[in-house]
Amino acid sequence: MNRLLSTALITTAIVALAACSAASGAGTAKPSIDPNALTISAKDLKFSTSTLSALAGKPFQIAFDNQDSAPHNVAIYRDSSAAGKVFGSDPFSGPAVVRYDVPPLAPGSYFFRCDVHPAMSGELTVN
Amino acid sequence: MANRLVRAARFGRPLSEGDIVLRTTTVALTLATAYIHATLGGLLFTLNALGYVVGAAALIVPIGVAAHYRWLVRIGLAGYAATSIAAWVIQPTYYSTAYLAKAIELALIAVLAIDFIRRDGNPIDRIRHEMSQGSVS
Repeated sequence: MNRLLSTALITTAIVALAACSAASGAGTAKPSIDPNALTISAKDLKFSTSTLSALAGKPFQIAFDNQDSAPHNVAIYRDSSAAGKVFGSDPFSGPAVVRYDVPPLAPGSYFFRCDVHPAMSGELTVN
Repeated sequence: MANRLVRAARFGRPLSEGDIVLRTTTVALTLATAYIHATLGGLLFTLNALGYVVGAAALIVPIGVAAHYRWLVRIGLAGYAATSIAAWVIQPTYYSTAYLAKAIELALIAVLAIDFIRRDGNPIDRIRHEMSQGSVS
């Protein structure tokens, strides 16, 4: 029974540590960012802008400054149904700045959002 | 009548070491998923975390009424975790923390089920017993 108790307590400790470390988020090292990169930030569970625009057929960068402790990301979808993801990466906890390297996109209107907080959203225009 | 007495004795028995291990694991898993949800920000996640904390407290608080309805707390907490998983299935976010939170919630449901079977047996029988005692109307 003591062995069972020890196993349960060790398992519990591992789960608790994993939960804490998983929720603590990414590092805070600043990435090198293209001066022409699109910029967007998140604060108080809101994006700084609801519109972004980029040139069609060319890769571009997005500098995302998450100023919240809550995890956020910027994921790009074909439309507001968020069914077809065009670009996305894992949410990270702030404060931290992350550079996204977005592949070339065809002209059109795209939908972007934070996957953890779908109310944080906007429109990316590519032309 | 004899059957009812056996059940009453079983439901009221003191905690064994195995029960304590299960209860500790359940509370740890509940608080772990509460912590993850609390870090996500926003009212919905915060309320979800608060619900888990209340559930964890209800599992261990040494108050007579809470102790008597521990079986109901186990069912409620399992249902709460299942609802949380269902909400994620409906509106998923695919990243490591979400996977960890859902894995913890699945483990929580499993541990609660084991605890329930050990302490209370068949859920239907347990509810019938409570109704026969007049504590559930």
